[in-house]
Amino acid sequence: MKKLLEISLGIVTSVGGFLEVGSMATAAQAGALFGFKLIWSVVLGTICIIFLVEMAGRFAAVSHHTITDGIRERFGFNAFLWPLIALLLVNLMVLAAEIGGVAVAAELATGLSFRWWALPVAFVAWLLLWKGTFGLIEKGVSLLGLITLCFVVAAVMAKPEWKQVAVGAVPSLPHHDAANYWFMAVSILGASISPYLFMFYSSGAIEDQWDRNHLGANRLIAGLGMSFGGTIAICVLVVAALVLGAHGVNQVDDYNQLPLMLIQIFGLWGFVLFVASLGIACFGAVLEVALQQAYLLAQGFGWTWGENLRPRDDPGFSLVYTLTLIFAAIPIALGIDPLRLTIFSMALTAASLPLTVVPFLFLLNDERYVGHHRNGFISNAAVIFVIALGFVLAAVTIPLQIFGGT
Amino acid sequence: MQLLRDILDKQVVDREQVKIGKVDGLVAELRRGKPPRIIAVELGSIALARRLGSRPGRWTARLVARMSGKRQARPHRIAWNKVRDIGVDIEFDIDVRRTKILAWQHWLRDHIVGRIPGA
Repeated sequence: MKKLLEISLGIVTSVGGFLEVGSMATAAQAGALFGFKLIWSVVLGTICIIFLVEMAGRFAAVSHHTITDGIRERFGFNAFLWPLIALLLVNLMVLAAEIGGVAVAAELATGLSFRWWALPVAFVAWLLLWKGTFGLIEKGVSLLGLITLCFVVAAVMAKPEWKQVAVGAVPSLPHHDAANYWFMAVSILGASISPYLFMFYSSGAIEDQWDRNHLGANRLIAGLGMSFGGTIAICVLVVAALVLGAHGVNQVDDYNQLPLMLIQIFGLWGFVLFVASLGIACFGAVLEVALQQAYLLAQGFGWTWGENLRPRDDPGFSLVYTLTLIFAAIPIALGIDPLRLTIFSMALTAASLPLTVVPFLFLLNDERYVGHHRNGFISNAAVIFVIALGFVLAAVTIPLQIFGGT
Repeated sequence: MQLLRDILDKQVVDREQVKIGKVDGLVAELRRGKPPRIIAVELGSIALARRLGSRPGRWTARLVARMSGKRQARPHRIAWNKVRDIGVDIEFDIDVRRTKILAWQHWLRDHIVGRIPGA
């Protein structure tokens, strides 16, 4: 019974981790512009992240190392420096985008410009990290995050032709705006396969003191949690395709257009639901990404870390998330468009994937870390696929950024 | 056991299991007619910077000397004979509070983090 509770909490948490401003914004844009055609990239991204999250959890449970510890120890400091720098930058941009997401939700709710909300949002997040414990943050925020299920209800109520939805799950070539089509596909993949997600997951497994007995739970949590997250993202895409597309809004370049998705279906309540979903999903991500930045540095350099300690007992760790939140809030407070920042940082995430995913191939096949719980053929094939995908994404992101970006 | 593979970059803890840092460098003693022997591990920013090259090492040492005095301009060392256990972490039979290794974290605690309400 306790195990069941733990697993369901884990699944809920993973859903909360999956759904954030990136997956919502990219899915909405893709749906408005290309109908159901890009569903395949959400499906592909979800399958990839399931494998990576399962591996991160398995690695932590068996070796009692986080992925960050593992990379530094296995490859040495000089090699570790590259993923470290890439992740610090990507995390900072993603964090800014998430703060932007919460700020936009606050603007939609109050009418006061998102710029004024950036610092208060960062402050509230900081306060929770400063005073809260890991359990409170992980469970509290992700339970609230279940509100995003309203997109599933909306997708069903919008009565799509499910056959068409299924057809969208198969990759196809675009009939128009080819550069933009591929740019959206890349952004969706970047939003689904976020390094912070699997890095955070391995830190969480250590914080929750997982061991070999958790391997079954780990598989269920990774598989079901990420699938549910992916399903909600597909529902966002479906609703956007049916509602925004039908209203002739096929270029979502202003976040004020987004609530229309749910208003059309639920009326005024749709507006409330949309604002709450966006705000809560992004706020959960703000907490996770800020913590991940602190985990990354603390684990990389061997400082004391842990969200259950008091700040004065892990001063280096607490100072990192404090500074990260401040730096990430600045661009939003200065008025950078959150939607554009989101799409940009998702593409950048995709480009950074090789640096963070290549180590998986070594760590998960090294008996000194994972013993006989090594990767099987399918898991290794999946990692190699993500690495290849990552290299392609890295090579195409920059040109697409110039020619295809909104 | 292979030194670079199994020791370098591992987590270091003291006898109270307090996380001190990573093994950032190794100090070996060359002996005439005998194989070299590890005598200490090094920790801290200077040891790390030296791994990137001699120039970053010198710059970091100079920076550290300017910030916290000439006496700190060398990497922290823990004698190898203090090793107690090598597992997920390497445990040394020392009390980190009696060393200067975490001085900067303590400085942060006393001057910045500790002054913020709720810490």
